[in-house]
Amino acid sequence: MIDRSVSDPVPIGRVVATEQKPATPHQFHFWTATETSVGIGAIVRVEGGGTGDEGRVVYGVVTDGFAYSDLASPLHDVIGAEGDPARAAGAPTARAEIRLWTAAVLRQMPEEPLQPVPLGDVHMASDADVALALRMDAYLHGARPTAIPVGLYTSGGLEAPVYLDADFLVGPEAAHLNISGVSGLATKTSAVEFLLGALFQHFPPHRGKIAAVCFNVKGPDLLFLDHAGTLEEEDRRRYDRLNVEPAPFERVRYYAPFKADGVNLNTLRTHGDLVGAVEPLVWGLTEVLDFAEVLLNRDDIDAKADAFIDFLADRVVRRDFDDGFGGQHHVETFADLERLFRSIFDGLENAGRGDIWRTHHIATIRKVRNRLGNVSTRCKGLVTDDGPSSDLPFGRFEDRAVYVIDVANVDPLGQDLVFARVVSKLREHLERRDLGVDAVAVFVDELNKYAPADGAETYVKKMLLDISERGRYLGLVLFGAEQFRSQVHRRVVGNAATQVFGRMDADELATPGYQVLSPATKIKLATLPVGELMLRHPHFTQPIFVRFPRPPVLRGRDGVERYPPAQDLPFEDAVARQLTRLDPGLRPNQVKDLIAGREEADVRRALGVVRRERPADLLATLRRRLGGRVAPEAARERAAVPPLNPIPEEPY
Amino acid sequence: MSGRRDWLTALYAAGITPASFLPDASVGRLGEPEDEPQAGVELVEDGELRVHPVAPQPPPAAVGFLDGIQQWKVVGYDGVRPIAVAYVAAAVRRRGPDGRLRTAFWEARELVVAPAETLDEPRRRAIAAAGLEAVSVETEGPPPLQPVQALEALRREVHRARQALERELGRQAVERLGDAEWLVVDGQLAVSAVLARHPRALGVIKSHGAQFLEGRHLERALTVPAAHRTSVFRVHGGHGRTEVDSWYLRLWPWEGRDLFYGLIRIEMAAAPNPGTRVPGVSGWLLAERATLAAPDARFDRLLYPIHDVETYLRSRAPGDLLASPASRLPRTGT
Repeated sequence: MIDRSVSDPVPIGRVVATEQKPATPHQFHFWTATETSVGIGAIVRVEGGGTGDEGRVVYGVVTDGFAYSDLASPLHDVIGAEGDPARAAGAPTARAEIRLWTAAVLRQMPEEPLQPVPLGDVHMASDADVALALRMDAYLHGARPTAIPVGLYTSGGLEAPVYLDADFLVGPEAAHLNISGVSGLATKTSAVEFLLGALFQHFPPHRGKIAAVCFNVKGPDLLFLDHAGTLEEEDRRRYDRLNVEPAPFERVRYYAPFKADGVNLNTLRTHGDLVGAVEPLVWGLTEVLDFAEVLLNRDDIDAKADAFIDFLADRVVRRDFDDGFGGQHHVETFADLERLFRSIFDGLENAGRGDIWRTHHIATIRKVRNRLGNVSTRCKGLVTDDGPSSDLPFGRFEDRAVYVIDVANVDPLGQDLVFARVVSKLREHLERRDLGVDAVAVFVDELNKYAPADGAETYVKKMLLDISERGRYLGLVLFGAEQFRSQVHRRVVGNAATQVFGRMDADELATPGYQVLSPATKIKLATLPVGELMLRHPHFTQPIFVRFPRPPVLRGRDGVERYPPAQDLPFEDAVARQLTRLDPGLRPNQVKDLIAGREEADVRRALGVVRRERPADLLATLRRRLGGRVAPEAARERAAVPPLNPIPEEPY
Repeated sequence: MSGRRDWLTALYAAGITPASFLPDASVGRLGEPEDEPQAGVELVEDGELRVHPVAPQPPPAAVGFLDGIQQWKVVGYDGVRPIAVAYVAAAVRRRGPDGRLRTAFWEARELVVAPAETLDEPRRRAIAAAGLEAVSVETEGPPPLQPVQALEALRREVHRARQALERELGRQAVERLGDAEWLVVDGQLAVSAVLARHPRALGVIKSHGAQFLEGRHLERALTVPAAHRTSVFRVHGGHGRTEVDSWYLRLWPWEGRDLFYGLIRIEMAAAPNPGTRVPGVSGWLLAERATLAAPDARFDRLLYPIHDVETYLRSRAPGDLLASPASRLPRTGT
């Protein structure tokens, strides 16, 4: 928490102003001793002491630094050393030199009248100064504090906690967080993991319940959030300073689609000790139809096809439907839909009624049929032809729970579908206020891929834009991450009220989006160590550098080493494992005996029902769903009929 | 300084004609001529003035450097009699093992200098009340004094005030000098008996208005090659002087430039067997070529630490003393 002890009364510098470098209301310059703890990003306090400046206090953050001596020309140094650098180093007298710093004003007190910074003493900021400088006092104290610790501002031996305002991180005032930085340093993921932990622990009670949905898009990054990682003493000290409990997430729910076999989960969290906590993510026709646009090539979706898909969604699916040829249908699955299509084509052909069915041309119907029919093939494991679906618990989201959806090994089309549907469902439920929580933070990595600045207008990009622009009213908050911020759609990054920057590539820093940063700040950004970030937040008038502790969860790479993924199981074993997880009293052999010789499709369908219904007697339900076993009937042997006129010499 | 401004306002209100005039060389000590009377010299090293090569030597671990500045400006005329305000300051900056200079002593005086008849008692009281120091200039001859003569008299008074300050600080500095510590004075050592007798005090003279040698000795001394010194000669005490040993040292080659380029004269307390200590001192001063005192125009003879002391003193001088009202207007186009 904030240490309110009095700051060091000894000044570390003095504001200077010349005609060339004047002090302004937004910027000032000060000098320090050459041995100083001031550096780029340091927060300083200026105390006005001159006439008219008594009592004025200005806070600033160092944005640039200069050092120079009284040397008028480099040639003078060469002459003095007679061309020998070693002699220059051995000169008896060190040249007078200056450490001159440029600082951007963070806050002036009093705020009015806004005047140039007084030419006063400069002090290093204390904890309390940092809180005032960053205007954190507005949300750190009071009856309803909304402060979320985000890291430690460190400079000159000082470590001051820095807080975000929950009202500006999760809404409703502003929302969304965007984090960018080069890949491979684990900074982005670590920062989000730490911040989610801090958010869960410090989300103000009066703001209600909060949950997080994280899309795991690469490797095992987010697959061990419920396991403690290794923390060093330094990390624990930082957690203590930030008043955050260094513990893994208590409630984590994992979801992953199946692989193509329909029984082995498509995730790296398949170790025997962990796979039990992974729920399958399987969607059927009803879940997919609303997002057909995601799955179909954009060229396919003309107005006619779109109208027919809407017709199916509104009038056919999950309804009793008469096809007009005497056939009654109740479409729940892709298989049901295929039967309907076949009925329509047969009916039109038999009736000779031409090419139109219910105002839709048969060519359009064929096109939609072909595309939809292929969906379950293209997204095998995620989309099922037949059988029940398995979904996130929309409407029953738990407070402070993390829902991790592992789509790392799903093909891009499937990933698009998962993003689009999950986020759309979240939005729907939040609009109706029946999700189970009041706010959801959605973490999406690789925004360069999903919301690029250029390229086609994909459904996912539109969805991300929609969250960015409207999410804060709903409590739907996007925590986005990417490598190149300049290559993410401007409205996605622009709507993120909180911007976090890890180490940046020099080429990226050369793009126009970073022009507001001083060269020194850019250099610092280009060389940021792991665990340090630059932060922009609506309350902070300038970017601030903070350090955050290592997240208290097992890192993906370490998790995979500790819990190596299991090999894919044969079909029977995989089914048995799923059922024994639901009922540990069940013996695998009982399951294997039951499904032996059954069609795999039938078993998958029955297994889906069991998974969804969770009956008391799993085996009985499975048996009932599989139906009676029909014994094979051997063909009767027929008596041979002798030829009427046998030919003894018949050569054949 | 608001006291000076208030005093000036009152002065002008009392009928003194305002003025703002910077006489030449009022911004510092620019080659102050050595105005000491010619003194007798005696060679104390070698039978004939010779030239000795000098090799750079490491300087002592701790050395103090003493210098002073003077600034003055005519601020008004009482009839034709000039009234000037002056600022004199001196400092000793000590160089430690890290090569950095830090202030050991500093003293400054702000003066009002005017002919005696201008500084009547009420004006003296007003000057004192403003925190300034009144200095009367006793002029020779009957008033009214010629303005040019009066200005020269004022300049000399300011010069004397600065020298007095330097002498005082020099005295304080040598009293507290450590066992192995040296003091280098910008200018003649001989002006202070205390300094002139101290075994670890040096005077480094950059201007050569006063010459102690004649004939072939003078020619040999003034044409000494770079990194060479002359034999040591003893300058006997004359009016206001204390006996010191002295020699010339060339820091930089003068060929192609000027006769005095890089040439300094050194004064040191008189002592037997100067040949035993002068080579070391010369080598040390030769090593002081780096750091070069550029961009000061006198960098060929000005030791960087002395330049540093001057810079220090100027930075502490009142900023509004030399500035004329016109220069306070913002420059256009900036």
